[in-house]
Amino acid sequence: MTAAVDCAVNLGGIALRNPVLTASGTFGYGNEFAPFFDLERIGGIVAKSLTLEPRAGNLPPRIAETPAGMLNAIGLENVGVDAFVAEKLPLLPAGLPVVASVFETEIERYAEVCKRLAGVPRISGLEINASCPHVKSGGIEFGQRPELLARLVREVRRTTPMPLLVKLSPNVTDIREMARVCEGEGADGISLINTLQALDVDLATRRPVLRNGLGGLSGPAIRPVALRMVWQASQAVKIPICGIGGILSGEDAVKFLVCGATAVQVGTANYLNPMAAVEVAEGIERYAAEQGFGRVADLVGTLRPFPSGR
Amino acid sequence: MSAAPRATAIRVDAEVRANVDEGGANRRLRLGVPDWPGSAPGQFAMLSPGPLGAAERFDPLLPRPMAVYRARPEAGGAELEILYKVSGRGTRLLAGTQAGEKVRVVGPLGVGFPLPEAGQRALLVGGGTGIASLYELAAAARSRGPVVVLLGARAAGDLMGREDFVALGIELRIATEDGSEGWSGRVTELLEHALAEPGADGDLVYACGPTPMMRRAAEVAVALGRRCIVSLENRMACGFGVCLGCAVPRPEGGFALVCRDGPVLDAAAVRWEETP
Repeated sequence: MTAAVDCAVNLGGIALRNPVLTASGTFGYGNEFAPFFDLERIGGIVAKSLTLEPRAGNLPPRIAETPAGMLNAIGLENVGVDAFVAEKLPLLPAGLPVVASVFETEIERYAEVCKRLAGVPRISGLEINASCPHVKSGGIEFGQRPELLARLVREVRRTTPMPLLVKLSPNVTDIREMARVCEGEGADGISLINTLQALDVDLATRRPVLRNGLGGLSGPAIRPVALRMVWQASQAVKIPICGIGGILSGEDAVKFLVCGATAVQVGTANYLNPMAAVEVAEGIERYAAEQGFGRVADLVGTLRPFPSGR
Repeated sequence: MSAAPRATAIRVDAEVRANVDEGGANRRLRLGVPDWPGSAPGQFAMLSPGPLGAAERFDPLLPRPMAVYRARPEAGGAELEILYKVSGRGTRLLAGTQAGEKVRVVGPLGVGFPLPEAGQRALLVGGGTGIASLYELAAAARSRGPVVVLLGARAAGDLMGREDFVALGIELRIATEDGSEGWSGRVTELLEHALAEPGADGDLVYACGPTPMMRRAAEVAVALGRRCIVSLENRMACGFGVCLGCAVPRPEGGFALVCRDGPVLDAAAVRWEETP
């Protein structure tokens, strides 16, 4: 390796040794990846979204492949918040920052899940999933309506002083408006983007490819859309941004940093390559070293405009 | 009848040693896999859909689950054989992979087959690519008792790996739907015949193949009070329990993950009407 690069970043009060987290729902509860690499080599994990009670999820088919991407409608299957704290959290190495992701169908229930996570010593912060596009009556309404999003962020903010991230839906007309709502209600950071709402058809049956009908599109197919939204949000707010969307390599991640993200999350790539997150972290460090950046944090928001004029 | 302890899965880039046409749509891939920790009969691996190249290609995106047909330990790892059928974009790209190229392997994954009790006769029913899950089982079950392998295909030329089964010295019975070899009809009819033989009371049935075939094999076995163990195939994105894409409903509610709780499951633990 070339000259040492300082990879540490601070994401809204969450200190990370490097800017790579894993996206909720793509990394299980973390220990599933322990056979493949030392988890303390990445910045941290965002665990699978938790609800008040355990959820079984949707009937199959739950996933389908699409051009350079995939659709999913898992239905937020999870063990529930209490089992997560009691059974899953203790399996993780002590030096690994863990962000708990919260999903619910009503504001009061979101707040209750947050209360149960508040003050759990092993949890470094919360990420409010305001955007899951594949559960009926689910998060999609919160992330799509500014006044509803404002109420949600306000109520969960009251439950805890812990670092609070809000994961936004990309299925909106203007992401800047949603980012400003989160900042205004006291969120410490925002994560974006969640999956894009999508549909594909099985022509043998003329049915949707997923049992749920609609699903969430992820993978490299959505990366340019994600970069655009991260850049727009970064222009609209001062709170830090965690960029998500089709990151497969260190170079992909650096693009998000350049567009204004302080940290990133690796999602679908974890499926195709269980060592993707650690390889992304190494790739960011390599790029910084090659480009002469002593600190990865100095890459954030360095998108260079073309000179004006013709 | 508990499964052997599972080896820890690895991710490794494996070298293609051969990738040969075996007739019909069947192909045999031979991979040199460094550090392969060994696998139990019935376990599988995820393979990249085609070769890893200098030009990175992400379409198709997802790796494909493939049964470990045969694993031969060697110095520093193992040679894995994968039998597959060219049936879609991923397998077409895999078919174009040349010796010397690399494919990404994640494995060994999943829960393998429990072996028969000492002296118990094993009936192994295979169809389509499901046959590829049965070779190592047939080889291992020989040390417990008699093994009869029942293979089904549309036509004789579609059968996978038959010479390998012959070489194991076990009894092989063939069914073809077009009557080009063996019993003219379905392999599950051969199973009915086998279970009606004298002394078949204690037989243990294994089935791997298309879902309707496994479902019928289970019906036949269970109607006679025999246990049937199946190995399911399903779409999956990861293979190690995180994407939750391969969930199949359990009779008692909730879901089993084919990748983690299976692929080998007792047929009684499968809700067939909701299984893809």
